[in-house]
Amino acid sequence: MRTREVMKPERNASSALRLAPSMASALVLIAVLAVWEWAVGAFGWSELVLPPPSTVTKALWSGLVSGYFWPHIMQTALEVVLGLVIGGVFGFACGLALGESTFGRHVFMPYVVASQVMPKLALAPLLTVWLGFGTLPMVAITALVCFFPLLESTMTGVSQADAARLELFRMLGATRWQTLWRLKVPIGMPSVMAGLRMAVVLALVGAVVGEFVGGSEGLGALIIAAQGSMDTPLMFAVLILITAMGLLLYLGALWVQERLLRPYAAAQSGN
Amino acid sequence: MAMHDFFLDMRNVHFGYSHGAPVVDGVSWAMTAGAFHCLLGRSGCGKSTLLKLAAGLLLPDQGAVLLEGKSLRRPGPVTGFVFQSPTLLEWLTVLDNVLLPLSLRGTPEPADTARARALLDELGLADMDHRYPAQLSGGQQSRVAIARALITQPRLLLMDEPFAALDALTREALQDALLDVCRVHGTSVLFVTHDIAEAVYLADRVAVMDRGRIVHAQDIGLPRPRPAKLRHDAAFNGYCSALRQVMDATHELANVGR
Repeated sequence: MRTREVMKPERNASSALRLAPSMASALVLIAVLAVWEWAVGAFGWSELVLPPPSTVTKALWSGLVSGYFWPHIMQTALEVVLGLVIGGVFGFACGLALGESTFGRHVFMPYVVASQVMPKLALAPLLTVWLGFGTLPMVAITALVCFFPLLESTMTGVSQADAARLELFRMLGATRWQTLWRLKVPIGMPSVMAGLRMAVVLALVGAVVGEFVGGSEGLGALIIAAQGSMDTPLMFAVLILITAMGLLLYLGALWVQERLLRPYAAAQSGN
Repeated sequence: MAMHDFFLDMRNVHFGYSHGAPVVDGVSWAMTAGAFHCLLGRSGCGKSTLLKLAAGLLLPDQGAVLLEGKSLRRPGPVTGFVFQSPTLLEWLTVLDNVLLPLSLRGTPEPADTARARALLDELGLADMDHRYPAQLSGGQQSRVAIARALITQPRLLLMDEPFAALDALTREALQDALLDVCRVHGTSVLFVTHDIAEAVYLADRVAVMDRGRIVHAQDIGLPRPRPAKLRHDAAFNGYCSALRQVMDATHELANVGR
């Protein structure tokens, strides 16, 4: 949002120069792909080690057209979305509760910190033992990964209300519930959104790594399968799919953020 | 006049935080309805704390604060408060900020919205309803804060150095706007400031505070309504220099919070 504002005068001044960075980054990609393609042929590297971009593109295309990828894409997307929603909602709710209750914070913070330090992905094998194979353990691990960023950012966010505005709400006879929802949550919203952006990225990591360990379907499971059959082009193709999914998720989070923070943004942009 | 005829009556009020000297040390002060009083003092003299006691935001350790004859136990709808900073909610429009006190009690009626618009008009903010606070100047934000405090039609308005952060010209314009709007609505005002000229221009009566006590009380016998040129009047300057002499004898305290 802010970057765009800063860019505006420049764009008017010299639109040719403004285009240069995005042109340049596209050129970088093309150059890297060209060198890669050329090097694989020139040095005679095996496709098992490093397939050329053309082979990867072929694998990606045929997987998409034949419909081979789609069930896996849907599976991973399902895990990510369900995990994000469940973990996010729980994280937000617990963040509110801990943000509101000093006693609760004192009691639970040591455990929160401990479970934050522990790598949640290391729980994947245990969760497959408990919950079996399939969608459920993957959703659980994704939710667990998303829980903490939202918990942390919500807790920090709702404690940012300044003394004067809290006093204002006391003066106006607001209930505790009103002070939370009409003052502390709106003040904390930018912080909550920062937590959501982090959770979205981590959710994909959670789902894919979960599938490495215990999945029979999904993009992570597909990578393991490709490894087993020594199909390196397939592996690259799946990596591209995962990256694309991550970008889409991130853009989705930015969209949600822009909608929720629109009043704040309107204040900044002056219209 | 009997004691219970006072609108706001603070009787021998003491207040202190657990450690250190009392912040408010035996203050008695009374206001009749419709009066405009100023509490004048240096930083740390206890004037803001006294104002919060009058608001019911703090409760006295000893003594009593009576509002309309009843002991004040908590902030009530009779009182409006304007803080040092405008304390607007930046995610709400100007109109919604003004309506906040009402929307906390239920959905505002169309009549409330009309009243909010009228108040904004009176305070010189016509056509600003749908702006956001960050799009306003400091003076305009202060005007919105005053409108918000007045939307509940409080009988008493408590103001804690609301114009301290504004430039001199804006401050004078706001003082005039405040006097007008309070005269129209018949609102009593207790106004905290460290600015002598501001106190003299606004008040019927000025109390000078020092180290938690009221050390001097001064009636201001200037005519109302007060024109802007009054600021250059000999009588006006006489009151200012008299209060200045009292202030010079007071003590500057280290910043001990409020």
